[in-house]
Amino acid sequence: MKYTSIKILLAAVIVLSMGCKKYLDYKPQGAVSASDLTSPTAADGLATAAYAGIANDWWDAPITSMWEYGSIRSDDAYKGGGAIGDQQQMDKYEQFYLVNSSNNGAGDFGFPGTWIRAYGAISRINNALRALNNLTDADFPERTTRIGEMHFLRGHMYFLLKDLFRNIPWFDETLTNDEIVKVPNTMSNDSLWEKIAGDFQVAINDLPETQPGQPGRANKLAAEAYLAKVRLYQAYTQDDGYNVTGIDQQKLQDVITLTDDVINSGVYALNPDFAYDFLYGYDNSPESIFAIQYSINDGTAIGGRLGMSTSLNYFAGAPQYGCCAFHVPSQNLVNAFQTDSRGLPLDSILNPTDKDFNDFYLGDNDLTPTGVTVDPRIDHTIGIQSHPFKYDAAIPYDHSWERLAGTYGGFGTMKELQLASCPCFKKLGPFYGTSVNMDVIRYDDVLLMKAEAEIKLGDANAALPLINQVRARAAQISPLVKKADGTYPSNYKIDVYKPGVNIPVWNTTTAFEALMWERRMEFAMEGYRFFDLVRWGIAAPTLNAFFAKEKTRHAFLSSAQFTHGTHEYFPIPQEQITVTNGLYTQNHGY
Amino acid sequence: MSLNKKLMKQLLTIFMVFVALTSFAQQKIVSGTVTSKTTGQPLAGVTVHLGKSTVTTDANGKFSIPATAGETINLSFIGMNNLNYKVTESSQDINLVMEEGASELNAVVVTGYKSERKVDLTGAVSVVNLTPVKNQVVSSPMLALQGRVPGLYIQTDGSPTGANGGAPTILVRGIGTLNSTNPLYIIDGVPTTKYEDLANLNTGSISSMQVLKDASAASIYGSRAANGVIIVTTKNGSSDDKVHIQLNSSITSQTEKPWQENVLNSEQRGEALWRAAVNDGTDPNSVVDQIYKFDWNGDYNNPVLNKVIIAPFVGATNNNQPPPYDPFTGPFSATDSLEPAASTNWQDALYKPATVIANDLALSAGNSRNGVMIDLGYYHNNGLIEFTNYKRYNARVNGHISTFKDRLKIGENFQLSQTSQINSTTDVGGASTPSLALTLAPTIPLYKTDGTYGGPRGAGYSDRNNPVDMQYLNRFNTRTELVLFGNAYLDLEIVKNLVFHTSVGFDYSDALAENAALIGDEGPVRSFNSLALQDAKEFTFTWSNTLNYNLIRDKSRLNVLIGTEAIKDNINAFGASNTNFALQTADYLQLSAGSGTQTTNGSATGYRLLSQFGKLFYSYSDRYLASVTVRRDGSSRFGANNQYGIFPAFTLGWRINNEDFFKNVKNVSNLKLRAGVGTVGNQQALSNTGPLTLFQPNYGTASPTYPQWLNIGTAYDLGGLNTGTLPSGFVQVQEGNPNLKWESSTETNLGLDFGFLNETITGSFDYFIKKTKDILIPPPIPGVLGEGQNTVVNGANMNDWGWEALLSYNHRTNSGLNFNITANASHFQNKITSIPDSYRSYFVGDANHSIVGHSPQSIFGYETNGIFQTSKEAQDAPFQPGAQDGALQGAGRLRYVDLNGNDTIDVNDQTWLGNTLPKLEYGLRIDIDYKNWDFSIFGSGVAGKTGFDPTKFFNDFVDQRNNFGPGTLNAWTPQNTGSGIPALSLLNHNGEDRNSNFYYVNASYFKIRNVTIGYNLPKSIASSIKMESLRIYVMGNNLIAFKSKEYTAKDPERANTFDLWPVPTSYTFGINVNF
Repeated sequence: MKYTSIKILLAAVIVLSMGCKKYLDYKPQGAVSASDLTSPTAADGLATAAYAGIANDWWDAPITSMWEYGSIRSDDAYKGGGAIGDQQQMDKYEQFYLVNSSNNGAGDFGFPGTWIRAYGAISRINNALRALNNLTDADFPERTTRIGEMHFLRGHMYFLLKDLFRNIPWFDETLTNDEIVKVPNTMSNDSLWEKIAGDFQVAINDLPETQPGQPGRANKLAAEAYLAKVRLYQAYTQDDGYNVTGIDQQKLQDVITLTDDVINSGVYALNPDFAYDFLYGYDNSPESIFAIQYSINDGTAIGGRLGMSTSLNYFAGAPQYGCCAFHVPSQNLVNAFQTDSRGLPLDSILNPTDKDFNDFYLGDNDLTPTGVTVDPRIDHTIGIQSHPFKYDAAIPYDHSWERLAGTYGGFGTMKELQLASCPCFKKLGPFYGTSVNMDVIRYDDVLLMKAEAEIKLGDANAALPLINQVRARAAQISPLVKKADGTYPSNYKIDVYKPGVNIPVWNTTTAFEALMWERRMEFAMEGYRFFDLVRWGIAAPTLNAFFAKEKTRHAFLSSAQFTHGTHEYFPIPQEQITVTNGLYTQNHGY
Repeated sequence: MSLNKKLMKQLLTIFMVFVALTSFAQQKIVSGTVTSKTTGQPLAGVTVHLGKSTVTTDANGKFSIPATAGETINLSFIGMNNLNYKVTESSQDINLVMEEGASELNAVVVTGYKSERKVDLTGAVSVVNLTPVKNQVVSSPMLALQGRVPGLYIQTDGSPTGANGGAPTILVRGIGTLNSTNPLYIIDGVPTTKYEDLANLNTGSISSMQVLKDASAASIYGSRAANGVIIVTTKNGSSDDKVHIQLNSSITSQTEKPWQENVLNSEQRGEALWRAAVNDGTDPNSVVDQIYKFDWNGDYNNPVLNKVIIAPFVGATNNNQPPPYDPFTGPFSATDSLEPAASTNWQDALYKPATVIANDLALSAGNSRNGVMIDLGYYHNNGLIEFTNYKRYNARVNGHISTFKDRLKIGENFQLSQTSQINSTTDVGGASTPSLALTLAPTIPLYKTDGTYGGPRGAGYSDRNNPVDMQYLNRFNTRTELVLFGNAYLDLEIVKNLVFHTSVGFDYSDALAENAALIGDEGPVRSFNSLALQDAKEFTFTWSNTLNYNLIRDKSRLNVLIGTEAIKDNINAFGASNTNFALQTADYLQLSAGSGTQTTNGSATGYRLLSQFGKLFYSYSDRYLASVTVRRDGSSRFGANNQYGIFPAFTLGWRINNEDFFKNVKNVSNLKLRAGVGTVGNQQALSNTGPLTLFQPNYGTASPTYPQWLNIGTAYDLGGLNTGTLPSGFVQVQEGNPNLKWESSTETNLGLDFGFLNETITGSFDYFIKKTKDILIPPPIPGVLGEGQNTVVNGANMNDWGWEALLSYNHRTNSGLNFNITANASHFQNKITSIPDSYRSYFVGDANHSIVGHSPQSIFGYETNGIFQTSKEAQDAPFQPGAQDGALQGAGRLRYVDLNGNDTIDVNDQTWLGNTLPKLEYGLRIDIDYKNWDFSIFGSGVAGKTGFDPTKFFNDFVDQRNNFGPGTLNAWTPQNTGSGIPALSLLNHNGEDRNSNFYYVNASYFKIRNVTIGYNLPKSIASSIKMESLRIYVMGNNLIAFKSKEYTAKDPERANTFDLWPVPTSYTFGINVNF
């Protein structure tokens, strides 16, 4: 090589190193920009992602199961777990102390995280609606149905937010990001209900009655059932001090109309066995009107889109599990399952005696055929010493499964749990998930909603067959709860209400008591209870009476106190107020 | 061809203009040859100066210069002492011998695409003294610098890499931005921000290291230099026609024993729990009744504990037995899995003494034209924590040849390294094993009676796992990385004094992470096993070209540098996993052997950078120095609108001691004033996908961070089939910002370098002010905007200021005793000057306490004012929710200060509690050598620091599930009112874990980091065994810490969290041999 050639090489290098303008262009890999999402397939994909969005949670900040917000905040259950301070934000919720807008758990834990996740799902829904609105029915035959579904999902998420926070910012897909961050939370209580109802009304208009082969999707009947729920809540007019100030008869009438549609459709019915509502193999049964769909071995990274919102609730001391024993049924709830000689509830909800069983830890005599009589639903709901756990006679429940029995007692929760041997069950990290669906609205709820509306409309007799339908199913003693020796673990005694026979007076007062009691038995430990109490306007007296008695059984409740006018709702998360420059008005009392 | 010729012509024309500036006088010509005293070889490029003439020597060391007798020729050459030669009548073909400079002042440092004499530096540049660090047994040369360079802050933990496999915190001049603070590394001219590229170097193969601290020095490196630049140059082949072999070998033993935290044993833990229950007014026998029972007098007013009864068994898991079940009575049948209770110190169980072996063999050969250096390294640390490991092999070959009369030099510097590491892990719930070693209940046995690992089974225990078992189950989780790093270069002297340099840099890494999640024996660990492999390949290609022109005329020296640089980076990652492996052995754990669910993943990303830059340096009479730098950087991470940033700098220097009026001041050997102002950019906060709004299909990816079981996917079982492939969709993952622009810092630096008494006392002082604007931060997203709104905005402005000082004293006595004392100190402060209101929640503070005007490292929280001594005190104080709960009715509870005076303690009673930055960081080193012996001691520390004491909560509060520290045994009780530790409580209704000044204490400390004693074998003996030299040494590291009493953690550097490995004390024996 000659020196001149080196110089020529150098010149070439200099020319090359000037670079070209395209050098800095770099396209992202494996992602698409918003403008690419205009096809029907893409819009449908955004709708699918919205369904996933309403189910993407775990126990830290749930948007599916409401056990943390609806069950342990009520008289149904204690927090449980490994210590009072284990998940201390829940201890604060349970005892209503130091619950404030910015001091309830680290990071996203608790209600601040639930706010973020629920609005996260709403953003998916709105993205899907924006894409669907830009198409025509000719482009995409399912367009209208999908639009209806998205409105249903949005109504569901706003209902959940409203139940928790009451005063929430409401907006739809027509707003841009810049506009959304300017929407305050000062819409009146009733207007907000109307907005939520409006979404379900669109869903009713747009959706077919059923969606064959697609049980995960919302249909018209589901939208009617949900709208009935909205109207029922709305009917109890509430002032800004959270007092129930009256009953809106028109809204109750809407409840009747809507629930009648569902009942008369013939599409839905009660399962013959109460167990099927909580058992693997009965997903999307006739009783399930809308459910969060979970799946297992579906190729996702952790081996399933499993229900993880209840995964803390498995038992620490059980060899097949190992953690974490949260959500412990209260003694008060266990007592509530007692029935009298007529097979009716022992107590009235307004005047409970809250009579204990004989023993702190129930003994053999308590709930066996020789002991006190109980509502059969107890053995579907509560783990009791030596009673079959989750319909498996080979695995009797044991108090040693509980983790802190000295503090929280020895009962176990059961409805949300599945057997470790279930094909639906998977252990993930220290926790557990199952692929069994989580019902959002069931047919029994529809029956009881209608009954409640009838009573509040003054027609106690119309409510009677509805309540009795639920009780009659409960009275069908499930063979699944039998012990290994073929006997039943408890002494069941349950009857329907028979005015003049086993109940002397059936009027709106007694019927409403019966209804409230029925809801408690039917949905015990499912996370409905606290919201029922707030709707009825009796959270403060009920819970404070509960605390007064319960602290004599469990010292950790010694200073628990519910403040009326504040604790009915969570505070607006302080972080959300800060990032919006104080846009949101804080809830009363916080 | 014609194009090239034309270009060549144009270029030559340009160069001729430069060349024409140099004129040659036509007088008597004196010619000569300059050689090096050390090598005997001719020296090329020596500046020969006489009157108005200046020439340089050619490749053969020859020069000619017009001169007349009586005049003095002055020779100067970087790295050599100046030489004066008086011309005589007979002067012709003179031979001049130059000696290597004894003074550091003549040292040459690489500062930005070229070398400079240290005396000519005008920016804040620290040249690292490598002598004391070369034998440090550390996995990275960077770690050896801890405390030694003013303004360079390094924080590590005790793991082999200093950060459990990651990069340790390395800060140049503190924290100047709100995002990445990683400095830019330049290794043999190749820029990289990957710490591993530097960490893989053997300290012995490094010839020099410089830290460019201020923007005026760093701005030539532009957009990635905002956090400082660390320049490393590796050694070349020798030039003395000899072969040199150097072997450095050492063995080190590490132990964490001196730094172990105090924890309670099984009985003490019971005692504290009893006290807490009594304080709460609850029955102690119902607190953790599966673990403890208490024999006590039952009197809540005057409680007396007679005996703590520990359940003799752990593992209450019998599910088939009738009640009453009681772990105190033992197993009911042989099938029960009860294990005897223990009193385990989990620190003793988890940690073991580690052995570190470090070997470095370097071979160099060459002559004045060609050279080769081969360096082989082996480093092995067998892990302070059970079943951890770190191993590295590396090989470096540096070579160069010169040809065409030394006008062309071609060379390469390449290193291949392979590291493999098994790091500390977490339990299945995400708790780190170092933290579990403190918090796991002592009653759990390490081993069960059958020899397998014990665990927290049964009631009363936490859901955490046995940390030793976790490490055991993690034992196959090796992360191996192969890195090829280096460059090939060409230097061409186109015409005299004009050098073209082109360098092609490669940085290829292939990292394979193996994650075997095994089923353990301890208890509820996992229900199925799995194996996941994740592989990432990254290739960075850097091409830089520079033209460097030197002109010396009379007293003026001019240097012009122009260049371009193009960087292309591509990362490809993919992974696969499988589940259900029948055997859990290393051999069997291969993907295909699993019989369960298989998954795959893959991704690709990358970035591009394109830059042009230039620098002009001018010096007059070695007194006045000035430079101008401009760099223009383009990045693919920005949108087209603001793709380019321009970063200028300007510096001035004044070498006062060369002034005539200073000639008589004999005691001052060096005095230089420096001033500089420069701007640098930052884009490291940005992802490679930059400003785009993006949607992604996300079939079933769980959250990439903890918790992994949070589903964030877009697939959903619409068909209600419960299993099988699900329909899936798209979700937004990023919100774009097309208006993003460069974050930029403008820094002003004032510096003074000095040397007194012929450089016996030397030092420097730098003061800087830095203003950073348009800081790229991810703003907090209002929840209503929903998912995938993560974005980056130019959101905040920040000011930093501080100073650094270095002072060194050298003394040599005639008796052969030499000693050197070097001290360094630095101070750094920062504050946010502006931030949009809506981004305020990105920082601590609240509506009434804006972060503006405060450091981002500020502490915000409640003020405490002692402990309520009586329940009446608690009642009379402003209402403190929850404080009066429990039997003591507020006595013994922390008192919070009602700052807003509304008579209630609430969230509005928080205030600024200071910030965690130390007022002063400092280091002190003393080196002494006497005859064949050498001794050195080095320590460093911080002063004026208020820090979070991680032990405070652990030591002072009980935890029903976990273990805690002995402070709890001295907590406040009605009988022990003097205590500063609040009364124990299981309820914590007073919320005493809230952020308050209770946890921030004086965190100043000083650590003796290193003591070394070495012995050099006398030359005569060494040469008799064919060695040039042999030195043996012993060394102790991390020996003693002096700290304030308030700070309860044993190791003041184990800040904030117990997740970090404790930094061990270590002892090393080593040899340095030269052949």
